[in-house]
Amino acid sequence: MAKLSVKKRRDATIPQASTSDIAFLLLLFFMVTTVFVQEKKFWVERERWPFAESIERIPRNHTSTIYVMRDETILLDDIPTRIESSEDVFVSQTLIRKKAEDPELIVCFRTDRETKYGVMSDVMRQLQDANALVVAFEAQPILKK
Amino acid sequence: MKITRKRKYKATIPTASTGDIAFLLIIFFMSTTKFDVKEGIKLVLPKAVESQENKTQTITLTEKEMTRFQILPDGQIAVNREAPRYIESEELDTIIQQKVQINPDMIFKIITDRDAKYNDMIRVVDRLKAAKIEKISLSTS
Repeated sequence: MAKLSVKKRRDATIPQASTSDIAFLLLLFFMVTTVFVQEKKFWVERERWPFAESIERIPRNHTSTIYVMRDETILLDDIPTRIESSEDVFVSQTLIRKKAEDPELIVCFRTDRETKYGVMSDVMRQLQDANALVVAFEAQPILKK
Repeated sequence: MKITRKRKYKATIPTASTGDIAFLLIIFFMSTTKFDVKEGIKLVLPKAVESQENKTQTITLTEKEMTRFQILPDGQIAVNREAPRYIESEELDTIIQQKVQINPDMIFKIITDRDAKYNDMIRVVDRLKAAKIEKISLSTS
């Protein structure tokens, strides 16, 4: 008598045991590779910014930030500088290069609200020299009672 | 007599949901991570005057065409030729409104003293921006 072989039905399953390992690996990968900007020599905290009402969002991808401290120190590209005479052209030189790289450059000011206007005026003069004319003064919204 | 056989239970930790937990963690961190947002007052500076040949024409503007806000080191503001005084934000709004009623194309020039506080300049620019004024001039001398 002929032997009848019964076809075995195999279940089609995708092994899911390792999905958790993959997810944790992803999590660890992003935790390890995320780099935050930390090389700031100094920082003007949000609490020190001026207050304003008509605030608009500024697209990050075309911005370059200039920090101006109360003691009139200027920080651009993590390099502290001062403008004491017309020969101090570090700001305009740097911005000419940046403007060449990105013609839509927006220069953001993170200035301490107690800073004297003179230093801002000097920096803006250098921006004009570098033809970087779009500026944004970063401010914190006025808290309404 | 009935003999009961001891059943041996396998000690296992259910690991089927660890994947879900890990993905939930990823989603949690993705949604709660807040990056530094840039918010501020945007302005366009005038072009620099390059040389004597390209020097722009000097135009004399009357008070009907241009309003001057002169900010002094102590925070007082002089509007046009008026005596300097402390002006609150609400009063600034009314002054701006009055000037716009005189001339809708009014140019506002902000002359800030080098020793004046940056905050005082921003306050005036903010009030002008809030009144939807586009023609704002900042002195950079």
